Amino acid sequence: MSSAAPSAPAAEFLALVSHAAPGIQIRSKDAATFAVDGLAPGIVVSPASLPELQTVLSEAQRSRVAAIPVGAGTHLSIGNVPARYDVAISLEAMTRVVAIEPADLTVTVEPGVRLVDLQERLGEHGQFLPLNPPGGEGATIGGVLAANAFGPSRYAFGTARDWLIGLRAVHADGTSAKSGGRVVKNVAGYDMHKLHIGALGTLGVIAEATFKVLPLPSTRRTVAVTCGGAREACELALAARDVGLSLHAAELLSPATAAAVAGRSEWTLLAEVAGGAAAVERSLRELRVLAADAGARLDEPDQVAWPAWSAAFQPRGLALRAGGLPSQVASIMELLDVELGGGRALISATAAAGIIRWVLPDGGPGTAALIEAARASVARVGATLVVDAAPVAIKHQIDVFGPPRADIAIMRRLKEQFDPQGILSPGRFMGRI
Amino acid sequence: MADQLRPLDPGDKPPRGTVTRACVRDLERAVGRERVISTPEELIAFEYDATIERGTPQAVVFPESTEQVAAAVRVAHRYGVPVTPRGAGTGLSGGAIAAVGGVVVVLTRMKRIIEVDVANRLAVVEPGVVNLDLSRAVAGDGLYYAPDPSSQRACTIGGNVAENAGGPHCLALGSTTNHVLGVEVVLADGEVVWLGGRFRDVPGYDLAGAFVGSEGTLGIATKIVVRLTRLPESTRTLLAIFDTVDDASNAVSAIIAAGIVPAALEMMDRNIIAAVEPVLHCGYPLDAEAVLLIEVDGLEEATVEQAGAVHEICAVNRAREVRVAAAQAERDLLWAGRKASISALGRLYPNYYVLDGVVPRTKLPAVLRQVYAIAARVGLAVANVFHAGDGNLHPNLLFDARIPGTTARVLEAGAEIMRLCVDAGGSITGEHGVGLEKRDFIGWIFDEHDLGAMTRLKAAFDAGERYNPCKAFPTGKGCGEVTQVHMQRMAAALGDDVYV
Repeated sequence: MSSAAPSAPAAEFLALVSHAAPGIQIRSKDAATFAVDGLAPGIVVSPASLPELQTVLSEAQRSRVAAIPVGAGTHLSIGNVPARYDVAISLEAMTRVVAIEPADLTVTVEPGVRLVDLQERLGEHGQFLPLNPPGGEGATIGGVLAANAFGPSRYAFGTARDWLIGLRAVHADGTSAKSGGRVVKNVAGYDMHKLHIGALGTLGVIAEATFKVLPLPSTRRTVAVTCGGAREACELALAARDVGLSLHAAELLSPATAAAVAGRSEWTLLAEVAGGAAAVERSLRELRVLAADAGARLDEPDQVAWPAWSAAFQPRGLALRAGGLPSQVASIMELLDVELGGGRALISATAAAGIIRWVLPDGGPGTAALIEAARASVARVGATLVVDAAPVAIKHQIDVFGPPRADIAIMRRLKEQFDPQGILSPGRFMGRI
Repeated sequence: MADQLRPLDPGDKPPRGTVTRACVRDLERAVGRERVISTPEELIAFEYDATIERGTPQAVVFPESTEQVAAAVRVAHRYGVPVTPRGAGTGLSGGAIAAVGGVVVVLTRMKRIIEVDVANRLAVVEPGVVNLDLSRAVAGDGLYYAPDPSSQRACTIGGNVAENAGGPHCLALGSTTNHVLGVEVVLADGEVVWLGGRFRDVPGYDLAGAFVGSEGTLGIATKIVVRLTRLPESTRTLLAIFDTVDDASNAVSAIIAAGIVPAALEMMDRNIIAAVEPVLHCGYPLDAEAVLLIEVDGLEEATVEQAGAVHEICAVNRAREVRVAAAQAERDLLWAGRKASISALGRLYPNYYVLDGVVPRTKLPAVLRQVYAIAARVGLAVANVFHAGDGNLHPNLLFDARIPGTTARVLEAGAEIMRLCVDAGGSITGEHGVGLEKRDFIGWIFDEHDLGAMTRLKAAFDAGERYNPCKAFPTGKGCGEVTQVHMQRMAAALGDDVYV
């Protein structure tokens, strides 16, 4: 990774932005640490306020530099290889918790606030935001939104779109626009905020986000159910869903994953039973019965199981994620057993949400073909396969999001509307948007 | 920067065509003569929605398939005429009204439940499926469709998608947007495209998320994939009776602040009780100032615990009495009063105007006091029935439009109450939509740049502005007179079947 000298447009940007926002923090010495897919920016700029962020964007557009917004960098592996990259817009200086309203169960934050810090602040009030993406402890809120990152709580609480109620974004022309608001129910205006979730900063830079949050459960217990095989573990996870047990998470772990995470070497269902004390007791009881009926064994693993899971599945090396229907999860894992199984991969599935993750050691020369073959297999059952991380050489050969559908035309028009000169995260999105 | 904004003024947009004889003939060719009406006598029935708002279309088509919708839209596109989608016409903001004429596409004949996938808890439906019919169809499988607008016996899923409809049980489970996975959409040029799909994880921008709640301005949904929710094993409904509205709204704030998110948390005040109780005998005391209808559901153990906690909070906040209904019949009776409350208002006054605003839940006591104060100042009676748990107010202004000058006072008070919601940090609509009614209020919460961003989304879908013109955005050229006429009629009366 070489730290490139600022390009000509970058030098112009530097001059413009220093003039327009004299106090703004600009640097280039650690630019290499902001590299995306091996491409390092010449300049790192850290706006500390909304007006500074607006200036950065409008001057970036004027000088036509390619800019990528960066949070903590924990999920930068997601997305296609950038077409160009001159300037990193670091949101590390926008870290205000703008409003925390415990009695309204809402919170408004700037994008650089770290998820772990937000959870701690909310925890003081007995509340939490139900997003726990792998490797996300150090991640920023802006990054979690831009990557649409989620973790085991997907089982019970969906994705960011279920909790984000308002957003302010700054567009390529420097205009700042909000949508939604700070109330939990609101149908005024289009839900523009939904477009920025998972957009990797291609439509604008997130400047502020408002979420509804939840009360923390009074009781939480983590249990591990050791199962005979993938299909049995899957069936058990769906059976637990079907009887409505009080679970906040139910992850299916492959033997290698179970060994790394929960100290056992068989297919395992790792579940968080949470809620009121009585509901948790009842759920544990029933889960034990379901496990016994399936010939599986239930016990309580070490407390470190979830942190270990989170560390194991942070996108790195070669990380893939399938999305489909819950009923297909077992079949998809079997379909891909040759390509991605065989003990080489760490596999984890949120079966009730139709999500499967694989983390493999960096692939060799055949990896791109392997990914395409795996993608073709899951496409036959209607599922999707996204590459969350891969070596750059491989990323150059594929679209990490897979083949676009007919709605790509609308997506391109949307990009054209918000970023006509293609300066924001160019090339990183689906269809190289 | 401002000069980069697309203008909101539609004056410079392509001129809107009118529906000519040739256009009607082509519509008939496209979808079949029996699916098109165009004579003034026939069209009258489609001037209205639940608001008495009026706008006369020049043609109405009744397609029965995606292909027919696309064919009709292609004809409209060729003639450059506006297209307004319409479901059951139960909307409360004028969304289904042909504000500037053109073609209305009625989706009520597309009412097939195409597929129910019990294992994956989803259904694929056509837009004309009635909300409650879907829940009934899947009840045998232990499932239901969670969003429950009070009009759910009549309103359609397609209309719910357009308005991002809410309902009493959206407190814990969210509004329509949280339950839609994908939509098949006919775009303004007649192209058919899927947004989202059968599951969440379809890569790309969340266009389905942006489409829900777009009030018929981006396209027509012809198939909708919805999430189904497991019916809870246990439900407990509490009726808490209060001697002051303040105590009731403090109890609401206290329940939320205690970290309890019930399945539903509704408030009805004295005037609502007076309208409902003599007819339905639900057991709401006539001398109470307010009652709360609170429902908790889930595992039996959870509902016992939550009902107990809610009971205690109500008692602490000086509830005169708290009744708990566990049997289905008792619960149904408590809810019957709630669901019929707006239409029962017709017993008290010849006219009423339903408002829809949202405030942070902590602001409920103060805002409600001011709502009563505003009504008293302008000499109007007001009845409140609303989704207290999410701060979604529905003040109903009661009046007699035959008394000269009254309508103007109603409009003035309505606008003032909306302003109050905005000043409290809230919104001008929680579930009814902006439509025609609130286009001129939307500038109170969104500035030119906010609206400019929304205009860019509109342009990505419908650059020619064919779909549902003069809705959801501030008044522009060619739309101004529509608003005035609308507001007068809006305040003049409401139809018989109004639900919030």
